[in-house]
Amino acid sequence: MLLIITSKSCSPIAIRRWVNLDGPKVLVIIPAYNEERSIARVIADIKRVCAADITVIDDGSSDSTAARAASEGVTVISLPFNLGIGGAMQTGYIFARDRHYDIAVQVDGDGQHDPGYLDVLLGPVISGLCDMAIGSRFIEKTSYKSAISRRVGIAFFSWLVWILTGKRVKDPTSGFRAVNRKLIEYFSSSYPTDYPEVDVLVRLYKKDFKIREVPVEMKKRRDGISSITAFKSAYYMVKVSLAILINSMRSGELS
Amino acid sequence: MIVNVYLISVLFSVLFLFAIIELVLKNRLLEKYSLLWLLFGFILLVLSSTPFFMEKIARFFDIKYAPSVLFLLGMVYLIIYNLHITVVFSRQSQKITRLNQEIALLKEMMENLSKGNKSK
Repeated sequence: MLLIITSKSCSPIAIRRWVNLDGPKVLVIIPAYNEERSIARVIADIKRVCAADITVIDDGSSDSTAARAASEGVTVISLPFNLGIGGAMQTGYIFARDRHYDIAVQVDGDGQHDPGYLDVLLGPVISGLCDMAIGSRFIEKTSYKSAISRRVGIAFFSWLVWILTGKRVKDPTSGFRAVNRKLIEYFSSSYPTDYPEVDVLVRLYKKDFKIREVPVEMKKRRDGISSITAFKSAYYMVKVSLAILINSMRSGELS
Repeated sequence: MIVNVYLISVLFSVLFLFAIIELVLKNRLLEKYSLLWLLFGFILLVLSSTPFFMEKIARFFDIKYAPSVLFLLGMVYLIIYNLHITVVFSRQSQKITRLNQEIALLKEMMENLSKGNKSK
C-alpha cells in the first residue's frame, strides 16, 4: 500500500500517516456465498497486487468456500447462516473497526472485480479526497458487456440516486468499493441488509459524505450465478426502490 | 335463555381470557405480549355482555345489524395486532442478524486463539 501513498500523498492526512503510522492499515473484505470455485483465485489475484490483509466473509455457504479461503491463508469469518450481502459486508466492517483498520475495500468473491484496479480505488480514499471510492464500469469506455436489462436497471438506479440527492453516480450498483475509517465506523452501526449498494449511496449523500467514482474494468463472472437473476430483477428493482424511497423520508439516525 | 351472537361472544371472551392467563402462567406467552390480548378479551366481554352499548355504537355509525359491530371491532383489532407482531418480528430479526455477526466474529477469534496456543 505504500506505493499508493507516495504517488498520491498530496493531502496532509496522508503525509502524517506516512510519517507516523507507517501507512494506513488496509483490509480487503471479500463477501462470498457459495463461491468455492472462484474464491481461491480471487484471493491469489489480490495477493499478487497488494499486501493488504484479506478477510473472507463466508455468508453461510453450503459448499467449501470457507475451507478454500482458509487454505489460502487469509482470515475467514463464517456466518452461522446466510444473511445476504448487506449483513455479510457489515460483519466485515465490524471486524475492520474492531481491528483498527483505516481503510476497507470490498471485492466480490465471484471474481468480477479486477484487483489490478485496487490502487486506483484506494488512491483517493488514502489521500483523503473522498470517504468512499466506487469502481465504476461506465466512466470510461470499457470492454464491459452486459445484458440490456442489467444496463437499464443500472440506469434506473442512477436516475433514482440523482432524483433523490442531485448527485450523478454512473455505476450505483457496483460493489467494488473502498471506504475510510469514518465510514467503517458508520457502516458498523448502520448498513442496509438486503441490497445495500444503491441504498448506501443515498444515505451517504444525505449525510454529506464524499463519494468519488473511479474508472475500472469488470470481468464477466467466472463461475456461479449472479445474485440477481433475470426472474428476480423486477422484484429486486421494486424492493430496492421502495427501500431507498422510505430511507430518504427518514430524518433521524438509521438503525 | 336465547342463544345469539352476544351470548356466544360472552362465552368466547371468558374462555379467551382464561386461555391467555393460562398461557402466561405456563410461561408460553410473555407478559408484555399478553397485555394487548387481555385488553382485547376484556373489551369483547364488556361489549357483548351489554348489548345496550353495542346498539348505541351501531346507531352512531349507522350500522343496521348491531352485532356486526363486534365483527368490525374484531377485524380492526386483528389487523392492528398483526402489524404489532410484524414490528416485533422485525426487531427480532435485526437482533438475530447482529447475533449471527457476533458469533461469526467470536468464532474467528477463538480459532485464532487456539491456533496460537498450538504453535506455542
